[in-house]
Amino acid sequence: MSSKVHLKGLLIGVVMQAANYALILIMALVVGAAVILVSGKNPVDAYIALFRGALGSPIKIADTLDRSSVLILTGLAAAVAFRTSVWNLGLEGQLYAGAFASAWVGFSIHGLPSPIHITLCLLAGTLVGGLWGLPAILLKLRWDVNEVVSTLMLNYIAILFTAYLVAFPFRSPTAFMPGTETLDATARLPRLMIPGSVLNIGFLIALALAFLIFWFLYRTKLGYELRMVGFNPQFAGYAGMPVRRSSFLAMIFSGALAGLGGAVVITGFFGRFISSFSVGYGWDGMVISLLAQNHPLGVIPAAIFYAALANGALAMQSATGVPQALVVTVKGTIMFFVTVQFFIAFLNRRLRQWMPSTP
Amino acid sequence: MDAFDTLGRIITLTLFAATLRMATPVLFATLGGIFSAHSGVFNVGLEGLLDLGAFFAVVGSVALGSPWAGLALAVVSCLIASLMFAVIHLELKAHEIIVGLALNLFAYGLTNYLLVAILKATGFYKSPLIIGFQPVNIPLIERIPIVRELLSGHSPLVYLGFLGVALAYVGLFKTPWGFHLRAVGENVEAAEAVGINTRLMKYVGMLLSGALCGFGGAFLSLAYLNMFSENMTAGRGWLALAAVNFGEGRPLKSLVACLIFGFADALAIRLQQFGLPSQLVLMLPYVATLVVLILSAIQRSRKAEKVLESPPPATKLVEV
Repeated sequence: MSSKVHLKGLLIGVVMQAANYALILIMALVVGAAVILVSGKNPVDAYIALFRGALGSPIKIADTLDRSSVLILTGLAAAVAFRTSVWNLGLEGQLYAGAFASAWVGFSIHGLPSPIHITLCLLAGTLVGGLWGLPAILLKLRWDVNEVVSTLMLNYIAILFTAYLVAFPFRSPTAFMPGTETLDATARLPRLMIPGSVLNIGFLIALALAFLIFWFLYRTKLGYELRMVGFNPQFAGYAGMPVRRSSFLAMIFSGALAGLGGAVVITGFFGRFISSFSVGYGWDGMVISLLAQNHPLGVIPAAIFYAALANGALAMQSATGVPQALVVTVKGTIMFFVTVQFFIAFLNRRLRQWMPSTP
Repeated sequence: MDAFDTLGRIITLTLFAATLRMATPVLFATLGGIFSAHSGVFNVGLEGLLDLGAFFAVVGSVALGSPWAGLALAVVSCLIASLMFAVIHLELKAHEIIVGLALNLFAYGLTNYLLVAILKATGFYKSPLIIGFQPVNIPLIERIPIVRELLSGHSPLVYLGFLGVALAYVGLFKTPWGFHLRAVGENVEAAEAVGINTRLMKYVGMLLSGALCGFGGAFLSLAYLNMFSENMTAGRGWLALAAVNFGEGRPLKSLVACLIFGFADALAIRLQQFGLPSQLVLMLPYVATLVVLILSAIQRSRKAEKVLESPPPATKLVEV
């Protein structure tokens, strides 16, 4: 009897979540359609082109998965920080710092066996990404400097500083745009066996990390402390949990994951560090995490959805002339609606009316 | 004496005049941030509001042929956006930081989309059709040699910005309305208990925030540069947030932070003319912000320690 009720409750939960996301998506598409109509184009054509561009063939699907690798990692970075109520808005900067570090290891060290070279590149990105988060969290813990603004400033500093590095000291004379030398072949992530697609093991690394972070947050004592601190710092403090240590770890892990994201996109996709290579991977990571309700496993589908939007946007622009900036508007709209727990509350009431037996 | 000579060539009256100009957009956004902070809302959407303001100022100016019309459209569009923010935050109970970030993203996407869709341009829009603000020469000051170069010949929005500081000060600290607004930010329950319409006050704070960002955005695209480009706000909304934080809600103190950013910005442009790598000198305003942020935090923690030692005074800190 009780298990039956439990099952019913679970079912309601799943239906509600699904309906919630469906509603968010529909609202965002409606807003997008309105914006397309304003510019005198046909929204249906545009959306069809977008879908085809993202998932229209096996190669397109593989490319979308490839694009999702870095987004899964930045999404996880955001999830770890937000779960602990650390407002790390510096993912973009941590991504740049990590990306440059991994590129540097990739082009300046020669003659290593590929697995070792790749590992070193990824480690360098992880390490430097974490370090780029360090000043913000130290300042917060020592003098209570608001991390929202400090991490944002570190974004600009990282982007401009790496731009300086590739414009002067590390500029490659052969590069078309300001960028470093190309990475040694031993540093490049091996492709997965899908002919014509850039999909590489970076995607598998990202998936593995999503499960690792899930395990860390939900199955370890340290992760439990992080979540409790995020849930209610005062309570966690009274319960004897190390609030400061948890905030510190959350920021460092978050920065490290963003840095690894940078390393994966450089070693897997670009093959060299190019100034302003990121089209907002760090920013997208935050939205992805929110879309996934800061759950590490939810980050995976959310990131793939975002990657599909990004890849589809290009195809939509070239096929129908609807500017790809539309997708950013749609993303902003999604973020608005995701934050509103309005739908969940509304559906909750309705479903409870239909099924009066559930408590 | 070589170093002094170089310094003398870098630090000129024009540099200080440029400081006033560069401080203006940040100043408007800061004043906006101050109003919403006093009503108890941490407005992370300043950056997006500035962006919207800058874009619609250009649209208004091109469509109606007057910078003032551009300004009006900028203010109206920012009012609509901040009303949206307020409804989602206050009625639908979404977290203010997340709604603010969503607003930034939304504004960035919308302006870039409309840039292509309405103005048929990618990346930036520059045209003789954009009618910008003309510099104003102030009658009396115009005749005084040094002061003239510093204070005269700015866009009217620069003067409005500095006037805004005085108005904000008087409004917040010398009127019953300002007292009510600050009460809401300080303690919602207490304000509610004495009969203040706290929700209305929050709306007013956020709408003022939007309107002021409209001025700041219009300054960027119709006075500072006669154009609109992607990322033209360049983080000024975030600098403003730091200035609000530094000033602890006091307009005059925040003005100091804005002037520091303005100086860093002006210096960055000046140093570029001396052949320093632009990427490095452009870091100046952000580094300055970090320094200002740290200084204000140290000062606040000192104050907090003092409060712990002595009986609590009647002063208050704005939570930002």
